[in-house]
Amino acid sequence: MPAVLTIDPRSGVPIYLQIIEQIKRSVALGILVPGEQLPTVKQLALDLTVNPNTVARAYRDLEHDEVIETAPGRGSFVRANGSTQTARAAAADVAAESLLQAVREAKSIGLTASQVRALFETALARWFPEEQ
Amino acid sequence: MSISIEHLTKRYGSFAAVDDVSIEIPSGCVFGLLGPNGAGKTTTFKCMLGMAAGSSGSVLYDGKQLTPRTFEQLAYVPERSALYEWMSADEHLEMQKRVFKRFDAKRAADLMQLFSLEPRKRVRNMSKGMRTALAVVLAFALRPEIMVLDEPTSGLDPVNQRSVLKLIIDASAQGATIILSSHQIGQVERAADHIAVLNGGKIALSGAVDDLKAGSKIVEAIFETDSIPVNGLAKDARITHVEKAGRILRVTVSSGGDAIANELSAKGAQSVRLVDLNLEDIFLSAVGGDQTADVLESV
Repeated sequence: MPAVLTIDPRSGVPIYLQIIEQIKRSVALGILVPGEQLPTVKQLALDLTVNPNTVARAYRDLEHDEVIETAPGRGSFVRANGSTQTARAAAADVAAESLLQAVREAKSIGLTASQVRALFETALARWFPEEQ
Repeated sequence: MSISIEHLTKRYGSFAAVDDVSIEIPSGCVFGLLGPNGAGKTTTFKCMLGMAAGSSGSVLYDGKQLTPRTFEQLAYVPERSALYEWMSADEHLEMQKRVFKRFDAKRAADLMQLFSLEPRKRVRNMSKGMRTALAVVLAFALRPEIMVLDEPTSGLDPVNQRSVLKLIIDASAQGATIILSSHQIGQVERAADHIAVLNGGKIALSGAVDDLKAGSKIVEAIFETDSIPVNGLAKDARITHVEKAGRILRVTVSSGGDAIANELSAKGAQSVRLVDLNLEDIFLSAVGGDQTADVLESV
């Protein structure tokens, strides 16, 4: 696996969630391709200098979310079956989280729902001009 | 091998250095013991190792008392160097080899190189960092099942600190159970999966690092006037700290941040923001916070 993970252990976001988010993003963006082998728990823990149980927890959750699969004795792989849906779902998860944060931020500085909606329309117009 | 510390108390006269401390360390866990100076960390370690007798309570390894056999599987890096001033690094390795059957001379040689230690240098001519590194080499060359590491990075430069962290992570990945103390919270944040904060001999906080981080937030609410309806907040068990500055209310929570944010919105807050806390913030709030400002104001 390419060194695509960057962890900020001092952030308030739990490390296992950072690992999950970044692997999902990598799958969604095609940096990690279906069938690709992931580093072992020990290797990734050493690469990132984080606790191995934390990495194992992230891998367990990623398996549960059907992003990766683990073959006993062979290692963990990006899921080959249904990986397109997996990747889309993973991308949607990442995007949903970003949008939630953006809306929360907007609300916290006192914008109304209709103002946020207007901002959202402006953003859509900018990034999807062909659909306007 | 799992470690259970059950209701451990260690008194010196009327002073309780360790006061009814209970800690469960599952097998394969890296457990970070945090606390200000004098909180009781080193005393806890000494009681774990049988170097000090607890006044009451027990320490069990896989449910059993510490036996010479368990001691064989254990390595300890003490806070204050337990090295002999007049002996060289090599002589320490030789001594360790004679005492412990598990001692791996090849690994010791590799670790000596990793930390750029000179085999023939005498401890009396070593810096603080070199002494720490030698103690670390002696411990990790045993490939122990249990490690008790009291400030295993003190005096080390950042490169060697990182090496010690990787050694801890590698040992943990191979199934060792490790308890470590460090004032470098950032290191504990990386290496440990569980922590406890000791303060005044008592456990102030404990749990899985990721769960503590996920739950702990500051909810910052800004109201229209400075008469903020704070009634009832103090009774909420999820709230650990409340601070009011004019129209701004800051509530530190251990869980339920979203729910409390909604409550404050319902109470009329104009703006509510959730801020994540890192382990250092969580630690400081557990030990009674940062009192520097009070000191600075008084001088």
